[in-house]
Formats: sequence, C-alpha cells, structure tokens
Amino acid sequence: MGNFHCLRIMEQKLNSLLDQAKKHLERIAGDGALEEAKKQFDRIAGDGTLEEAKKQFDRIAGDGTLEEAKKQFDRIAGDGTLDQVKKQLEDFRIQYLGRKGEFSAIMQQLGTIPVEERPRFGQLANRVKAEIEKCFEAKKAALVDSAGGQGPGFVDLSLPGRVPERGRLHPVTQIMAEVCGIFEALGFSVAEGPDVEHDYYNFEALNIPAHHPARDMHDTFYVSESILLRTHTSPMQARIMENQQPPLRVIAPGKVYRCDSDITHTPMFHQVEGFLVDTKVSFADLKGILTVFTQKMFDKDLPLRFRPSFFPFTEPSAEVDIACVMCGGTGCRVCKQTGWLEILGAGMIDPEVFRMVGYDPELYSGFAFGLGIERIAMLKYGINDIRLYYENDLRFLSQF
Amino acid sequence: MKFTIDWLNEYVNTDGISAAQLADHLTMLGLEVDAVTELFQELAPLKTAQVLSVERHPDADNLSLCQVAVGPETLQIVCGAPNVRPGLVTAIALPGTTLPGGIKIKKSKVRGIESCGMLCSERELGLGTGHSGIMELPEGTPHGHSFLQELGLNETMVEVDLTPNRPDCASVIGIAREVAGVLRRPLTLPVERAEIEFARTSFSVDIESSALCPRYGARLVTGVTIAPSPWWLRKRLLSIGLRPINNVVDITNLVMMEYGQPLHAFDFEKLAGGRIVVRHPHGDELDFTTLDGTARRLDPEMLMICDGDRPVAIAGIMGGMNSEVGDSTTSILLESACFHPVSIRKTARKLKLSSEASYRFERGVDPGGCLSAMERAVSLLCEVAGGVAISGGVDNYGGQRPPRTLVLRISRTAELLGIPLNHEKIIDVLVSIGFRCKEKDADTLWVGVPSFRVDIEREVDLVEEVARLVGYNTIPTTLPTVHLSYPEQDQSRMIRSKIGDLLTGIGYFEAINYSFTTEKHLPALGLPEGDPRCRLVRLLNPLSDDQSVMRSMLLPGLLENVQRNLNFQKNAIKLFEIGKVFTPRGENEQPLEKTRLAGVLSGNRFGEASPFHYRQTAVDFLDAKGAVEYLLQGLRLWGMGDASVLDFSFPAQGRIDPHCDPLQCLTIRAGEQEVGCVARILPEVLRKFGIKQDVFFFDFDLDALCQGKGVARIFKPLPIFPSVGRDIAMLVPENVAAGDLVEAVLSAREPLIEGCEVFDVYQGDSLQAGAKSVALSVTYRSPQKTLTEKNVEKVHMKIVEMLSSKFKGTLREG
Repeated sequence: MGNFHCLRIMEQKLNSLLDQAKKHLERIAGDGALEEAKKQFDRIAGDGTLEEAKKQFDRIAGDGTLEEAKKQFDRIAGDGTLDQVKKQLEDFRIQYLGRKGEFSAIMQQLGTIPVEERPRFGQLANRVKAEIEKCFEAKKAALVDSAGGQGPGFVDLSLPGRVPERGRLHPVTQIMAEVCGIFEALGFSVAEGPDVEHDYYNFEALNIPAHHPARDMHDTFYVSESILLRTHTSPMQARIMENQQPPLRVIAPGKVYRCDSDITHTPMFHQVEGFLVDTKVSFADLKGILTVFTQKMFDKDLPLRFRPSFFPFTEPSAEVDIACVMCGGTGCRVCKQTGWLEILGAGMIDPEVFRMVGYDPELYSGFAFGLGIERIAMLKYGINDIRLYYENDLRFLSQF
Repeated sequence: MKFTIDWLNEYVNTDGISAAQLADHLTMLGLEVDAVTELFQELAPLKTAQVLSVERHPDADNLSLCQVAVGPETLQIVCGAPNVRPGLVTAIALPGTTLPGGIKIKKSKVRGIESCGMLCSERELGLGTGHSGIMELPEGTPHGHSFLQELGLNETMVEVDLTPNRPDCASVIGIAREVAGVLRRPLTLPVERAEIEFARTSFSVDIESSALCPRYGARLVTGVTIAPSPWWLRKRLLSIGLRPINNVVDITNLVMMEYGQPLHAFDFEKLAGGRIVVRHPHGDELDFTTLDGTARRLDPEMLMICDGDRPVAIAGIMGGMNSEVGDSTTSILLESACFHPVSIRKTARKLKLSSEASYRFERGVDPGGCLSAMERAVSLLCEVAGGVAISGGVDNYGGQRPPRTLVLRISRTAELLGIPLNHEKIIDVLVSIGFRCKEKDADTLWVGVPSFRVDIEREVDLVEEVARLVGYNTIPTTLPTVHLSYPEQDQSRMIRSKIGDLLTGIGYFEAINYSFTTEKHLPALGLPEGDPRCRLVRLLNPLSDDQSVMRSMLLPGLLENVQRNLNFQKNAIKLFEIGKVFTPRGENEQPLEKTRLAGVLSGNRFGEASPFHYRQTAVDFLDAKGAVEYLLQGLRLWGMGDASVLDFSFPAQGRIDPHCDPLQCLTIRAGEQEVGCVARILPEVLRKFGIKQDVFFFDFDLDALCQGKGVARIFKPLPIFPSVGRDIAMLVPENVAAGDLVEAVLSAREPLIEGCEVFDVYQGDSLQAGAKSVALSVTYRSPQKTLTEKNVEKVHMKIVEMLSSKFKGTLREG
C-alpha cells in the first residue's frame, strides 16, 4: 500500500508541476510585460532619452574606454525588454526542464514506485514533460521568434544598407581586360612593348618604308629622326618574331599615339594587336578567330562582315564590320547610314614581314589583327565623345 | 575619290543597280564607300523662270522692274542684274527659299516696289564664281520647272575612301573598271589607246633622269580661246566639288578625274625657247612662285619642269605663275607625264604642298596611260576651246619597263585563303578586271598585270585579288589547329590588375591621363632644375604646348583631375593611375620607360557611401597611409609580421620632394631601396594647380613593387589556449610616436606577448599641456597553458615599467 501511496503522490506532483509551469509561462510577459516594454522603449526614444543616451555614449567614448562605453550604451538602449523576456524564458527552462530542474527532481524519486507501476508512471511523466515543453515552445514562439530577432521598435527597411564606398576601373581598362581575356582563353600570350619606339619597328619592319604613302595613315609624333611614339602596337609583331620561332599566338595591348585631335580622335588611345603564326594558317582561320572574338565581345547573333582593305604588313588585308549596335543595321548617324561599324583591321601577315624577321614565307603563314579599345567601349557603352576618356571626371568614371 | 553615278554611267552601264547596291559592291571590293549624297538638295526649291518684260525702277537707275513667268504665274521682281532682258530663262528663288550662302528669300519692298522673289546668279547658287549677272539657262528651257531637273543637277554623288595601294581607282574610269568587273558588263572608254604620230615638232622635251621621270608626253594645241566651260563640263566638276576656272584648266581637271592622269597646260608662248627640260633647279632658281600665288623656296633635290631658261612648274605638284594659262593664251603645250612617287612625295612634304596631282603621283600613276589621257584632253581642247591640234608631239618614254608577268599557284592560293579553287574560277575573276591569264601547268598560271595596277608585284598580291573578287564573305570561318602551349603570365600585368582590384575595393577610381604633358608642371611642383624628373623626352611635333613632353611623373596629371572634379562639385576624390613615365637617354635612343602607380585623395573620406551611415569628414594623412598599407598587405609585401618585404620610414634629410609637406611625409623602402612615398601636398603647390583644399598622395615605382616576392603563405597552427588582453593607457610627452611605443612592446622579447595595438590617442583639456594619452592593447598568450591573471600581471607590469622609463611616461589610472 505504501508503494501505491507513493505512486499517487508522485502523480499528484507531476500534475501540479504541469499546472505550475503553465501558470508560470502565462506570467512571462503574459501580463503585458512585453507590450509594456515596447511602450517604454518608444517613450524613451520619443522624449529624447535615446538622443541623450547617444550623447552620453559619444562623451564616454571620447576618453577612450570604448568597451566600457559600449556596454553602458547597450544597457541604456536595451533597457531590458526583449532580453528580459528571453532571460525569463531561459530561467523557466532551467527551473522546470533543466538537468537539475523540478521535473528531473521528481523523476529521481522513481525508485519509490513499485516496479509493476513504473511503465504507467513513465507514460504519465513523458506526457507531462511533453506538455510542458509544448507550452514552453509555444510561448517562446509567440514572444521571441515572432519578434523576428529585430529587437524592440520599428526598423525602417527603406534606409540604405551599410555599403562601404567603392571605386571603379577606367572603362578602357575594363574593355582591355575583356578583350585580352577572350584571347588568353584561346591560348594567346600577352606581350607589352615600349611606347616610344624605333622607326624601324613601327614602320620599316612592317613593310612601310620611308616615303611610303601608307605613312599618311599614321600621323606620327616624333621624338627624334628615328624615334617616335608608336602609332600602333604592331611593332610587337616584329619584336617578338625576331626573338621567337613559330608557332606563335600573341596579343600586344597598349597605348598608341597619333597627332590627330577632334571629336572622334584623341592623340593617345589604346589598341590590342594580335597575331598567330604557324604552318598552314589560312584566311578562313583568321575569320574564325575574329568571329569567335566578336561574338564573345558583343552579341552572339550580331551580323559580321569582312571586307577588303589595305595594310602594308598584311596581304590580303581586311576590315571587319559588325552590324551597327545603335540602329541594328538599318542605318543611323553613328554608322553613317551604312548599317555597319568598323571594329577591326586584319589580314594575312605579308611575306615581306616574315622575310625581315628571317621566317620562310613558304613554310609559315599567319594572320594579324588590331583593334581600338576606345572604339569598342564607345560602341558597347554608347559613349558619344571620345575626349571624356581622358578628363577623368568622376561623373564619367563612376558610370562603368 | 568622288564621282557621280551619272558620270560613272558614261563608262559602264549601271542600269538596274540602285545607289545603295552600287555602294555595297564597291565597299565589298575594298573601295570603301564613305558617303552616298543626293547633290544640290538645297537648290531643290528653285524654279526656272522666264523674263517677260523689263522696265527701269522709278526710283533707282541700276534696278530693273521685271515681270517674270513661273509656270502659270506672273510675278513682279526687282532685279539689279545688267543682263536681265525679255526672253531670258533663269533661276528664281521664291519667298521662303534659303540659298546655299544662307540668304533667306522673303517677299519684300525694294525702294518702295514689291519684289516676289529673287533671280539668281551662279555664285548665289553656289555653282560658280559668275556674279556679273543672273544665270542664263539655255534657250528653250521651259519656265516653272524644277531648276535642278532642267540642269540635270539632280545627281547622286558617291565618295570612296581610297586605300593608298589603289591609285588606279583615283579616277572615274578606274572605279568603272571595278564595277564592270563585278557586274560583268562592258567598259567603254572615250579613248581606248593612243599613239603619237612621228612628226617634226616646234618644241622639244629633255629629261635629265628617266628614273625620276619615266615618261613625258606633250602636244601643242593652237588657236585656243580661253572662256568659261560649257555647262556640261562645269557640272561634272561642280558635282564632285571642284571649282570651274576656264575651259582649258577645266579640261585638264576633268581628264585627270576621268583617267587618273594629272595633266598640265602651259601657255606655250611663255615657254622660252619652246623647250621643256625636266631637271633639278640650279642654285639661283630656288625662289619660285606657284600658280596659287605663293612664293616658295625650292631645294636642289626637287624635280622641276623648266623651259629654256628657268623652272616653270614643280614636277607633278603644281604649275608656276610664270607659265600659267590666262585669258590671252592661245597656244597650249599640254603635258601628260609620269614621275617617281618618292621624289614627288618628298617634294610635297618639304613644301607642305599637296594637290590632286601630287596625291596621284605619290601613289603611282600608270605610265601606260599617259597618251590616252592626253589624246582625250587634246580632243576636248579642240571641241570645247576651239583649238587646233598640231600633228605630232613628244613621247619621251625612257623609263619604259616590260609588262609584268607573275606566277600564281592555285594550290597556294587555295591554302592561304582556305577555300577550294580551280583554274577556271581564278581566270574568270582576274580577267574580269583586266588581268591576262595563261595556264602554265596543272597548278600554275601566268598572270599578266595591266600597267595601271602598279600595286600588283607579287604572287600574294594576286591572291588578294582573287579573294577580293570571289568575295571575302564566301570564305568560310574555321578555327586554326594549333600546337598546345601554356602562355606565360606577365607578372607585372597581374600585379597591375591586382592593384586595380584592391584600390577600387576601397573607393579609388582609376584615371588614365595622356602620356604627354606640359613641362610647366615641374616648376609648379617646385622641382629644382637638376632634378632627374626635369630631364624630359620632348616631342618634335607636338599638337600644343600642353602636350609637348612625355611625362616624368604621374602626380601633375592627377592634380589636374582633382581640380577638374572639384570644379564639378565632387568633393570626395580618390583617384589612382598606373602608367609609364619617361626619362631620356641618348639621341636616337629609346627613352627609359618606368611604370609607376600614383594615387591622390582629397575631400570627404567616405566618397559616395551613404552619409546616413558614414559621417563625412575630410581625409587626412592617415587615410593615404591606410590605403598604402591596405594595398601592400593585399600584395603581401607588408604587415605580415616580421616577414614584411617593405617598411615605412621617415624620409632621409634632403630627400623630401619640394611639393611634400615635410611633417606629413613617409617613404616606403625595400631594404635600402626607396620604392615609394606617401605625403601631404603643400598648399602653395596646390594653389598653382587651382586647388584650395588638402590633397594627399602616394606614389610607387611599380617595377620595384613587382620585384618584391611577397611574403610566403605558410600555415601556423591555430593557438590551443585562450589569449588574455590587457590595456595600458600611458601619459607621454606629445612628441612621442605611438608607433614607437608599440615597437617597444613588441621588441621587449617577452615570449608571452603575442601582439600590441594602439587603440586610442588623446590630447585635450583634461590632460596637462604638452602631454598625450596613448592607449595600447596588449595580447598575451602561452602555447603551453591557459594564462592566469597572475601569469600576465608579472609581464604586464614589466612592460608598463619599461614604457614609463623609456618614454618618460606615466600610467594613466582609471
């Protein structure tokens, strides 16, 4: 009988624990403590106490004990509310459900119950524990989780995010990187050369002898009789071929100079020259490589045309046009009503250029091409005045 | 090269081909069409009008009062022209019309009498220089019609941007030949071929050097009457923008445009001794006046056309005043010659004189075509100017060369172009534009090059002709088969790209300035003359003083950028530039090119970042230093503990640039080598650049940065035991550097000290004058155990004592 008595007492204990727990939970903010806290916060913020707090913070922070000041500020600003609720909930959990909590205390007395009654008691105990847990989770969800972890008060989501400042690369650099990236992915290496170049590499080695009318295509700045500012990056063709044997795949990016200045010309601009030399390279291969490039640089479906042209260092020579990106090929001011925009000069490397670097033109063939970076940037970004590139106006630079 | 489709049709029939189609054909042949223009559109509103009656204006002697018929209407017009007379058909601009010169025609009163429009002179219509009276249209021209249509001026002009290799197309016939080839239609020439009859002539031609003048043809035409050209001839010239002058000059210009052969007409009576001598000028003949009225100084290398006594023309460029055809000229000696391109080019360059003739000779005129063009001009002189051609003439052709024949391999052509080809295809396209082809063997053709194709010298030139004529767009696109290789990365390029990413990440915008600049910047910076940066690479032909030398520093360009942005109300400026600077070496030697990195900062610290989060205050020296630290950390060159490759230091005495504030300037060194600096720019320097606020800058030798290997990435095991942090606030004299305190703590050889940082420096009213408070945070850790307060306290006290004695400081309590 004594044992049976024990069982009854234990059952009563469990049931009253459940009651007590439920009432306790109701008390947590159930009496409107959270509501009250919120109001209190609003009041503080409203009547300038928060302002005051901030000032206090600034004052404190001024003399160096920053950590201390922060803590103090948290204390003032936080003012208990949500944290208080959280604390109360945690206290509850420890009191009832914790390892040393009241439920555990009851269960430790399991030994007083007759063995045959233990399964029934066990079921009851589990039910009570589950019920307390359920009530606790429900309360927690209602009070804390619904607050979304935002803390007290209204958060104005329309305010700007905390973005650190950032700058931008010059559009010429961006396009240059894009162009070089495409060719590097095709296995081209990158070589840079001097801006101030010998007449020989800029002209002679490219089959443009002195007094050749093709020199009219290059308005050249001279430093002395035989030294000039390179008018294209093509001198790298000769410089590299002089020192290396085919097969070669190289691009040469860089600044170039021509004494010409108006709305469509600046005396300095950027070019990428590229060339490929191997056995049995054909004009069809040139078309292939430049088609891949143009499609990557612009639109995959952009129409493209190759038409005959003239450069002393290529034969046959070509210029490459894309359908006008402004009007789509119907004709506009930008494409001078032709529907086409010239973007590349190219051709099969002239045997004379090979001969000058000691390659056998019967054995090797190759192609070369060159393009202007500013022009591509103008077409891609719709820039209408080339002079903007070198004024370094932040209103311009920040757009790219 | 300009021509009208109407003119082109004289030689090849383009019926059924629209102007746009024609332009497309030409462009795809390599004759890039720049523009297709409907001509004289501004004259479209003009009408033809017939004068019915003319009376004197009652109030003005020199004005007439005319009744003019324009279709069904009769208008009253006041006209001042002396040639106005009943029956005359002329051009009328009705009210509302704007003439090419900008005159707007309104209904108005002239001396009290209403005038309903204006009868126009050629000059007023932009059609010529005639202003002695109103334009006289041929008798029988109906009135009330479109003036443009009646005159056949409603033409389409095509402008081709010629490449330098195609002088043959600097002629309407040359263009027509290409069009005939592509359309496979016949080409009709006014003169197919001509020869000079052998006969005694009343003049002689001597050539000093046939290398410089391979051919000189001349004929004499007498009995010429100088007069304005007939309308059809003037119209041809006007339609391509040439000014009609008189019948003789107009004929030479017309034939030059037609055949591409420059011609010159001398007044034969002005040629001493009836002789032409092609030679260099003598020492006493170096002053010469060309027919544009300009006195020119010759040099002995220039090739001149001379008579028995003196130079009368600069060969291939421009005639002289002394032999010019004038109103009284009756006998014409017509020259049709060929000169060496380089000689003409050198002369034109030296004299800074280029003409339609020199343009063609520089690029190469067909020596085989001299006589046809001359024959054409002679027949026009007879037909238009009433001349009589004297039979016989001179054809001095000392530079004759055999016609060029080239070998073309079909397999080679196919391989280079990447298309299948056979004999028939190649012969078909080459013959269509005047080449002659003969089969040599199964793979080879003999190709005869026509004399006008001076650009075709090698097999590969023929390959291009084949490609051009089969059409580049018929060539397939393939990708080359290549040997795989790994393209080596250029270290400097990679570092530049990395720097760009790092600096843009902290708010810097990249600038690109011109490589050339003005040397005036250097004294503005206060650089003494002996400074190496004052040795400059100078351009011989700069566009302006502002762009006359290659830059030796990046800073001046960036300061100009700062000034510009301040002007445009940007007050948060952070710019950097990576670029080359240039130092001269020997004459005719390339200068030294060094790549540098420079940055400038001025104004608001947080740039465009939201002022809601970032309180805007002005940048100071530590912002510049911070950017440099961040950059060098990013490159792993600094701030990696003891392994730093670079270090900040105070500039050595006398090594501070004159534009830097000596109190706010640090250099960055790699061992003994100075690789860069960071500084505040002196306000008086900034004022010279028009800047009135603080600017800070940093500047690096990028090549030196690239040489730095960077601190290796070596993993250190994570600490097992927790650290203990202790703060020290010391009162020290204000001239003590906080960094020295940190350095003293770190170098105290206390094994438990892991790190030390400054977290506050305070100077203010609450402290005694001349003192400041430096707060340090020291981190202690042991690799063997968790430190207790006691462990730390012992070391910490030692540190405090050390600092107090070393820096004359006291521990600040509380």
